[in-house]
Amino acid sequence: MYRYDAIDKEFLTDRSNEFRHQVGRRLAGELSEDQFKPLRLMNGLYLQLHAYMLRVCIPYGTLNVAQVRRLAWIARTYDKGYGHFTTRQNIQFHWVKLRDAPDILDALAEVDLHAIQTSGNCIRNTTSDPRAGATAEEIDDPRVWSEAIRQWSTLHPEFSYLPRKFKIAVTASAKDRTAARVHDIGLALRQGRDGTLGFEVMVGGGMGRTPFIGQTIKEFLPATRLLSYLEAVLRVYNRAGRRDNIYKARIKILVSSLGAEEFGRQVEEEWAQIDAARADLPDTELARIRAAFIQPGLEVLPAVSDSYEAARGANPALARFARNNVSAHKAPGYAIVDVSLKAHDATPGDANSDQLEAIADLAERFSLGDIRVTHEQNLVLPHVKQSDLPALFEGLVAVGLATPNINLVSDIIACPGLDYCALANARAIPVAQSIAQRFLDADRAELVGELKIKISGCINACGHHHVGHIGILGVDKKGEEYYQLTLGGSGAEDASIGKILGPGLNADQVAPAVDRLVEVYLAERQGEERFLDTYRRIGMTPFKEAVYVDAH
Amino acid sequence: MSTLIKYTANGATEIENSFVHVVDGEPVPQGADIIVSLGRIKAEGEALLASGVRVGVQIEPAEAVEDLAELLPRLALVAVAFPKFRDGRAYTSATLLRQRLGFNGEVRAVGDVLREQAYVMTRCGIDAFVPADGSSAAEWSRAAGHFRHVYQTAADGRTPAYAEPGRR
Amino acid sequence: MSAEFLKALTANRLGEGDVVFWSGGQWVEQFADAELFTEEGPAEAAVALAKAQPRIVVDAYLIDVTRSDQGVAPVSYRERLRALGPTNELGHGKQALGGAAIAALQAASGAARSTGRLDLIRRK
Ligand code: HEM
Ligand code: SF4
Repeated sequence: MYRYDAIDKEFLTDRSNEFRHQVGRRLAGELSEDQFKPLRLMNGLYLQLHAYMLRVCIPYGTLNVAQVRRLAWIARTYDKGYGHFTTRQNIQFHWVKLRDAPDILDALAEVDLHAIQTSGNCIRNTTSDPRAGATAEEIDDPRVWSEAIRQWSTLHPEFSYLPRKFKIAVTASAKDRTAARVHDIGLALRQGRDGTLGFEVMVGGGMGRTPFIGQTIKEFLPATRLLSYLEAVLRVYNRAGRRDNIYKARIKILVSSLGAEEFGRQVEEEWAQIDAARADLPDTELARIRAAFIQPGLEVLPAVSDSYEAARGANPALARFARNNVSAHKAPGYAIVDVSLKAHDATPGDANSDQLEAIADLAERFSLGDIRVTHEQNLVLPHVKQSDLPALFEGLVAVGLATPNINLVSDIIACPGLDYCALANARAIPVAQSIAQRFLDADRAELVGELKIKISGCINACGHHHVGHIGILGVDKKGEEYYQLTLGGSGAEDASIGKILGPGLNADQVAPAVDRLVEVYLAERQGEERFLDTYRRIGMTPFKEAVYVDAH
Repeated sequence: MSTLIKYTANGATEIENSFVHVVDGEPVPQGADIIVSLGRIKAEGEALLASGVRVGVQIEPAEAVEDLAELLPRLALVAVAFPKFRDGRAYTSATLLRQRLGFNGEVRAVGDVLREQAYVMTRCGIDAFVPADGSSAAEWSRAAGHFRHVYQTAADGRTPAYAEPGRR
Repeated sequence: MSAEFLKALTANRLGEGDVVFWSGGQWVEQFADAELFTEEGPAEAAVALAKAQPRIVVDAYLIDVTRSDQGVAPVSYRERLRALGPTNELGHGKQALGGAAIAALQAASGAARSTGRLDLIRRK
C-alpha cells in the first residue's frame, strides 16, 4: 500500500493549517458565509439538516489499520459513534461541529487522511476496484493509476474551479466494480496486442437529473500518456462546459450536446498541443508508485485449506457466508472477504466505532492490515488465508458484520436521504430497511440471487438509483414521501439506465412492490439468469402488471 | 487608483496601478497606459499600439486567449477576468498564455479576486492581482505561498513532488 | 384558501451546526420553545435581525407551522425532521430529549405519512 513520505505529510499539514486559518476567519466574521462555503466544501464540510457533515476522502477506497482506528476514534470523539460509507468509497460523519473540524483534520492528517476535494467543483476522489491487488481478474493494479491521478489532481491549479464536480474511476477487470460508465471519466485498463498497457477512455457518464452512460472517446490510450490526456479532457471541459445553469454544467451535458465524436476530436486537438515531457509522469515516478503497491507478506500456500473445508462442512452459517461473501484471491490458499454493512436493521453503509475497531483488529490479524471500501457501501478484507476464514467469520459475527448478503436483495445502496440530507425529498434509509426486513429469509434471498437495489432520496442520485436493477427514487408529492421505481439499470460493465415502472408508491408500498417484482422474476427466469437478465429479456410489462395488479 | 499586488519569486509588493481600464465605446485617454477589450484590440490594435502608451488586453472567460497570439509580443500585460471567483476559465487562459503562447509579460487577475484563490492563481502563472477583498501584499504572499509542496507541473514552473530530491 | 399565517424562524448555529429556533431575540434549541409569528411584519423583522448575525447562525429562514390536535408542528416533513432528528437513530438529535412536546411532533409526522396499502394503487 502506498505510504506517505515527508512531502505528502507536509502537504497535509499545510492544508490543515490553511483550513484552520479559514475557519478562524469565518468564526471571527472576516469571511462571509458566501465566501466561506466553497472553502469548507473543498474540505468536505457540508451543512446538513441537523449538523455539519464531514466527508473524509478514502483514496481509491484503500485504508490501513491505523486509519480505520482513527476513523473509529473520530466517530466516537466528534460524532455520535458512527460513520457512513458512501458510494464514492468515502466516509461521512454526520454530526460534526465547525469548531471541531480543524482538530479533526489534524487528527486525520496524522494517519495520512484528509478531506481534500471531497466536495466542490473540482476533481474528486478517484473510484477504483476494491479488489485491486487481490483479484486474478485484473490486467494491472488500478491503484497505481489512481494514485497517480490522486497526486496530479490534488489542488490542481487549473482545475479547481471547474463548471461542476468531476469524478474519475479506474477499473482493470472485465467485471467492473467501480461504476466506471457512470463517472465523468471512466478509465478501463486494457492490454494492447503488443502487451503494452492502455486505457479505454469513457467520458460523459453521470447520474443526477439527466443520467448518461459514458461514451468511449479513445479505445486505447497508452497508459504512460494518461495525465496529459486527462489534462486535455479537463481543459476542453473547463473552457466549454456550461456555467450558466448548474444542472447543465456536468461534462455529460457537454459531451451529449457536442456528440462524443466531436468532443473526442477536440480533446485530441488539445492533447496534440500539450508538451508530454511536462505533463506526463516520468517512468521513474510510475515505477516508484508501482513498487508501493506490491503486496508483501503473501505466503505460498496450498490451493485448498483442509481445515477451512472441514469447518465449512460443519457450520452451515459459515458455508452460507462463504457462498456469498468470499471469493477467489489471485494467490493460492487466500480469499477475498466482503464485509457487509447491510444487516437488515442497520443503516446501509453505517459502521459504528466498535465495528470499525473490530474490523481494524481483524484486518491486522487476518488481512495483512489491508481494508477496502466498496462503492456499494461495504468493506473488503482483501488478503485472507482460507485457513483463517473460520476465525475471521467468528470475529465478524461478534460485531454484527457477518451478514451473508453480498449482491443479494438486501445488499442495498441507500443515500442518507431526508434523515440527514438538506437536499432530500424523501427518506431512503427506512425504505432500505423495510425491503431488507421483507427478505429476511436467507434461503429465499439466495434463491433470488444477484439483485441490486439502489435508493436515492432525491434526483441527485447519490444512491445510484438510475443504475439499480431496481432503482428507487424518493420524490415529494404534496409534502408526502413518494417513491418512483425504475427497472433495468446497471452500473457495471453492462451499464444501463433504468426505466420507470409506473406511478409512484408511498413508503409502505415499496417493499411489497419489490416482493412482487421478485416473484415475477422467479416465475419467468430461465437458467442462470439474474433479475436484470430476465428483465432485459421479457421487458417491463409483466413486472408492471404485477405491481399494479389491482388497478382497474 | 486601485491597489495592485505584484508577485515575484521574491514575494509580493504593492504598487500603484498605472493602467486605465478603457470601457468599450469610450474614448482612449491621452498619454495613459490602457487596458482594452479583446474586441477593441482586434478592431483598433494598430492605432492603439502605435500611440506610444503601454497597452494591455483584458480576456473575458468566454474568450479564447489564443486570439491574442500574434499581438502578445507587443502587449504590456494581459488581464484575465474573474467575474465571479467560481468561474475558473481564466485559469486555463493564464496557463495557456504562459505554457503555450510563451507570454512573459504581466498576467493580471481582475474582478472577483480573493486571497483564497491566491495559490491557484499564482500557480497558473498570474503574477499581478487587483484584490477585491482588500488583501495586503503580505496577506497575499502568505496565502499564495502557503504550500511547501506541489503535486503537479503548472505554469509557475514549481518543482512537483515527484521531482523533489527528497521523494521516496 | 386563506390559511392562518403561522410561522417560526429557524437556522443552524454557525460554530456547531445545531438546529435552532428564534424566540424573542434568542436562539433556542427546541421547536416547542420557538416563537410563533402570526403576522408577516414581525416575522420578516426577525429574519432581518437573524441575517444580521452572520457570526452566530447560518441559513436563517421562516418555516410554515400548522396547528393540529397534537399541537403545533412544522408543516413540512423536512422541518419536522430538523426539529426531531433522524428516524433511523431515534437516540440522536433533539428527539433524544423525549417528553410530550417531542412526542407531539413525532405524532404529527406519523399523521402526515401515507398509510396506503399496495392493493390500493390505481393505475393512471
Ligand atoms: C448528505 C450530503 C450529500 C449532499 C448534499 C450531496 C449532494 C449531491 C449533489 C447535489 C449531487 C448532484 C451533482 C450533479 O449532478 O451535478 C450529488 C451526486 C452524487 N452524490 Fe451526493 N450528496 C450527499 C451525500 C452523498 C452520499 C452519502 C453519497 C454516497 C452514498 C453520495 C454520492 C453521490 C454520487 C455517487 C453522485 C453522483 C451522481 C452523478 O454522477 O451525477 N452523495 N450529490
Ligand atoms: S440523493 Fe439527494 S437525498 Fe440522497 S444524499 Fe444525494 S442529495 Fe441527499
